[in-house]
Parts: sequence; structure tokens; C-alpha cells
Amino acid sequence: MRQGVLFEHALRRSWRRQRQAVVLALLGLLLAVIVGALVYLSQAALDATTGRQLESLIAERNDIEQLNESLRAEIASLRSVPRLLQRAGELGFRLANPEDIDYVVVDQYDPRQTAVAPQIYAQLGTPAPDYDETLAGWLQQQLDAFNRQPEPLEGE
Amino acid sequence: MRQNLPDDTLRQRLPIVIAGLLLVSMLLMLRLVSFQFQLDPAVTSYLESVRESGYRRTLRQAAVRGNIFDRDLQALAVNSLEYRVGISPNLVSRPRETAIRLAGIMGLDELDTFNRITSEVPWVLLSARVSAEQGRQVAELDLLGVTIEARPRRYYPQGSMAAQVVGFVGGDMQGYYGVEGFYDGQLAGREQEQMLSNIPFDVPEDRDEDRGSDIVLTIDREIQHLAESELENSVAQTNAARGNILVMDPRSGELLAMASWPTFDPNAWYEIRDDTLLQNAAINDLFEPGSLMQALTLAIALESGAFEIEDTYVDRGYIEAGGVQVQNWDRKAHGVVDLTTILVESLNVGAATVSMQMGPATFYSGLREFGIGEPTGIDLQGESPGILFVPGDEDYNDSLLLTNSFGQGVAVTPLQILAAYSAIANDGLMMQPHVFRRLLDGDEVRESSPSTLGRPISSATARQVTEMMVTALREGMGGRADLPGYTVAGTAGTAQVPTTLGYEAGTSIVSFIGFLPADDPRAIVFIRLDHPNEYWGAAVAGPIFQRMAQRLVILMNIPSDDVRRELVAAGGAVEAIQH
Repeated sequence: MRQGVLFEHALRRSWRRQRQAVVLALLGLLLAVIVGALVYLSQAALDATTGRQLESLIAERNDIEQLNESLRAEIASLRSVPRLLQRAGELGFRLANPEDIDYVVVDQYDPRQTAVAPQIYAQLGTPAPDYDETLAGWLQQQLDAFNRQPEPLEGE
Repeated sequence: MRQNLPDDTLRQRLPIVIAGLLLVSMLLMLRLVSFQFQLDPAVTSYLESVRESGYRRTLRQAAVRGNIFDRDLQALAVNSLEYRVGISPNLVSRPRETAIRLAGIMGLDELDTFNRITSEVPWVLLSARVSAEQGRQVAELDLLGVTIEARPRRYYPQGSMAAQVVGFVGGDMQGYYGVEGFYDGQLAGREQEQMLSNIPFDVPEDRDEDRGSDIVLTIDREIQHLAESELENSVAQTNAARGNILVMDPRSGELLAMASWPTFDPNAWYEIRDDTLLQNAAINDLFEPGSLMQALTLAIALESGAFEIEDTYVDRGYIEAGGVQVQNWDRKAHGVVDLTTILVESLNVGAATVSMQMGPATFYSGLREFGIGEPTGIDLQGESPGILFVPGDEDYNDSLLLTNSFGQGVAVTPLQILAAYSAIANDGLMMQPHVFRRLLDGDEVRESSPSTLGRPISSATARQVTEMMVTALREGMGGRADLPGYTVAGTAGTAQVPTTLGYEAGTSIVSFIGFLPADDPRAIVFIRLDHPNEYWGAAVAGPIFQRMAQRLVILMNIPSDDVRRELVAAGGAVEAIQH
């Protein structure tokens, strides 16, 4: 009888150890899943935030391009011939007459010749970009991104 | 009752319930999974489209339209924005104040604006076209209920300058008439598709730069302004109904100016009620060239070899053939005259005599060589071919051989007659008239290269006719078209105005063509006025040419003959418009 009890105790102890190991393994797995999920969530949130920021920057760029177009149009309007003539008149300029113009010979100058721009020699070999990122730095970056509060975006 | 159930019973039934629930869950899960793999493709496609339409949509956007520049890269057509402003009346708390502020900015009537703001409709348009500056001011008010919608707009910073050359862009952002119409494919670029997504994880795609190409024209805006202002003043002074001034480089066929009156403002094309204003009269309007045709008749005669420049005929003041009698403009007989005198005195009888002696085959073949009765092929929309009846045509009769020789019974466009004369100016070689100079497509630059329309006359004939035209201008116009220090070739035309009942009495179409310097032409100028208050071309159009030439030699850096020869002798070279 006693032997039976001892055997049962030994068997239970063995199961308990196994169960503890299984539970620990499961706990470890669960923790790993949670950490993985958090990293994924953080990365996804970062992607989404970056995407919205990118969208905002693209919209801003488009606005600036449109503004540039409008400014070009305004400049062109300000440089129209009637306006320039009026302004030149206000500044005391007058239209030239044929006899006001002197033509001179410029030695060795041929207006028909094709102008050749000086050649620019590119530096041989492109310097390799510096990579100074480390795994610790990357992890810190991810942690900062995870902790960072989402910034309010324009138009939201 | 359930509380009274014995524990054993509960213990026995609970696994069965759990197993049952698990089974149902499994079945549901299996069914759910089966949707991923076993759905009808049509259903799958439908569901995918529903999903995509909920989260993503494709936006088709027109590419940014290319700009148009003159030869000095001064903008003639650019892109801008305008705004469409509306309001939701039910969201406006203080309508009176809102109406005053909005009407003040947009230049609207205050009472009308107030009535719109207090109307019962959910949304009302306040202004369909508001400038970018006004739109910005309205946006800065930050008023509740006001909607501002930006819309792309084509803007022509030079106003009406070269309007009929440039054309315009309609509300559908498509080019009409002129360069906008002819080069619409290059200017418009390719329509772009942009994917818009509501899913935050979708990173927005940045559109590739795909704007339309910029186009640089041969037009010089300073010469264009000169031509337009001179034309406007001349029309005002002579009470003419309409007119054109064209300036071309005969060596390359580049149009430097193409002015027509009346014209329109392409920034307000939608206000034009008369569609003919939108068309380029310089390539579309037909007119009888009158005496301008005489130089071409003489050129064909000399080229045919049937005539020498010294040849003479006896002018009796009239000639009859094909049932018509042709008389000189002064109704006088001029006795023995040579070919040059025909041009100097503008003798219809002389021109008709020459064409009669040449015969229709030679004469009409020559006119065809000069491009009369055919479009020049200029790169602008809406060119007319003109009217020229030749033997074999249903409407041809023998009298046309006489009348065509001095510009009656034939209709040309201003550009056609200019192109024909450019052959005389350019040693017999007729260049293809064009306005396209360069296309800028990102880093790619495509240049136009001059091409020829043919050689209607030899170099020797061209020089002879040029000499005749120099004499005609010097001796036949009483100094009205001379330019001191320069040798200028030119001839004037006066044409009666044809109607359905014959020719209109007491009114005319006056014209002039001249080029300078005659021995090395840099510019050829065409002038035409319809129904001016003076009758004769030399008297009306001659002085206009003179004023144009005075300014052109400065704008194009053309020195006087003495200086030019001196420069060339010293080893220099003079080029017009080096850009």
C-alpha cells in the first residue's frame, strides 16, 4: 500500500514537472507572441503614421507647385510688353531710332559659330554612403516610435 | 429546477454541451474558411470590387498642361488656378455680414449675394470663376458654410497678344484653335490614374511627373506687339473693318509676328459671341490679292523663259479676251512699257498681256508652284486653301486667265501670298511657314528644322523680280514706303471688294508686301486692311510698312546697307535675331 502511494507521488511529481515545463513553454510562447504582436503593431502604426505624413507632404508639395505656377503667371503678366513700355517710359527711356544705333566689328567673333560649353569632368568613383546604424540603435528607434504619441495631422 | 440538478448530471452533460458548441464553431469556421477557397469566381470578383470601392478608388487626373513661350521664352500661355465659390445658407449665422464680406472680395452685388445666402436651398453657387487671389482671401475669412473648389485654368499673361496664333483652352481643358489646338496632344500630356485609399496602411503613391511638353514658338513678342499696335492704330486711323500684319523670316519660314484685327482675349474666350473672331484670320480669311498678284505673274513669265526683263509691249489701256475687257487702274494707255514698268505703274493690262502670251498651262502651273490655291501646311488649326480655278475646273472660264494675272477672280489667305513672295525674297526657294520652334519635354529638347515647300523660280529670276520690286517701291510709291539707308523691295495691292452682285463700288482691300534688306532679306512683311477710308494700297499700306520697317531694323539688329557692307568687308557677319 505504502509502495503504491510512493509510486503515485513520484508519478505526480514527474507530471508536475512536465506540466510546469509545458506551462512555462506555453508562457514563453505567449510572451513571444505578445512581443511579436506589439512589434508588428508598432511597425504598422509607424507605417500608417508615415503614410499619412507622406500624404500630407505630397498635398503640400502640390499646393506649392500650384502656387509656383500662379506666381509664374503673375510674373509673366508683370513682364508683358505694354507694361514694360509704360514702365520704361516712366523711367525716362524712349524708343531708339535706327540712327541711334552703332554697329561695331568684333574681331574673330562669328555669330554663326556654335557655342561649345566647357566640359565638366565628373569625379571618378562614387563615395559609398556611410551606414552608422546598429541593432541597438534600431531597437531604440522602434521603442521610441512605439512610445511616441500620434501627432495630429492636417485636415483631420 | 436546474439548481436542483445533481452535480453528477451536470458533470456528465457539460462535456456534451461543450463538444456540441465546439462542433458548431468548427462548422462555422470551416464554412468561413471555405469562402476563401471555394467561392464562385464571379462572387469573389464582386465581393472584391465591393471591398475596393469601399476603401480605394481610382481618380483620373489630367496632366499639367505644357506652357507656350515666344522665341525669347516669354510666357504666352501658362497654368493657373481659379476658384468656384458656393455657400450652404442653412449654416450661415450672420447672413448680412457674410454677404457684405464675400461680395466685397469677389466683386459681387451685395443685395444679390444676400438674397442667395438667405435662400431656402441647401447650397447655392456664388461665383463660378474667382481668381486665385480672391479665392485665397475668401479662404482666409474661414466662414462656416462657404465651399471653395479649386479648378485648373489656362492663363494668357500677354492678354490678347497673339491670341489667334496661340488659341485657347476650353472649360474641358482641351485646346482649340491655333497652337493650343494644333499641338493639343503634346501640350496636354497623358491623363494619369491615381489610387486613393482610406486604408491607413496604404502608403500613398507619388505620381510620376507627367506634365505636357512646353512649346517655344517662333513668334517674337516684341515684333508681335509692334505689329499689333501698328495694326490697331492703322485700323483706327483709316476706319478699316479688319486687317492683318504678318512678319516672317523668308530664309527659314519662321513666323515672327502674326497680327489680326479684330481679335479676342483668350482669358475671356467664353464671352465671344462671334466664332469667326476665334479663327486666325491670317490663315483663314480669303481676299482677292489685286495688284499683289502682278509680281507673281511676272516671275512666272520670266521663269518660263518666254520673257526677258527688257521685253516691252504696247499698252493701249485695255485688253479683251474671254468676253471681258480689262483696263488699267487709271483707265489710260501707257504706250510702250517694259516688265518693270508694269510693276511700277501697277498695270493690269500689262499683267493680262503677259499671262495671255504665256498661256494658261504655264501661268497656272506657275501659280501652283507658288502655292496659290493650296494650304501652306502651317502648324496651326483651321487653314484655308484659298480659291483658284484652273482649266478643267467646272467654274473656270477663259477670262480668268486675264483677271487672275492682276489678282481678280482668285482668293488667297494672307499667309499664302506671304509664302509665295518669300520665295522671291529667298532666292527662289519657298520655305515652309511655321510657328513651332522648339519642344521642351523634361530634359529632352526637340528643335524644328526648316523645310522647303519647293522652288517655284530660279535664283536668277528671284533676283530679277526683287530688282523690279525695289524699283517699284522707289519709283511707284512716292517715298511712302522707303526706309533711308536701306534697300527695300515692295509692292502694293488694291483690290475691289467682290460681292454676289459684282464688285462693291468706292471701297477696297489694300495690301502691301515688302522685304528688307532687298539683297539679303531678314524680314518680309505683309499688310492688309479691308475697307479703309482711302482707296489705294500704296497710300494706305505703304506708310504702315514704312513705320514697321523703321522699328524692325532695330528689333532685329539689321544695320543700314552701308554699315552692313562695311561690317562684312571687315570680316564681320550680321545675323538677325540671334536667340
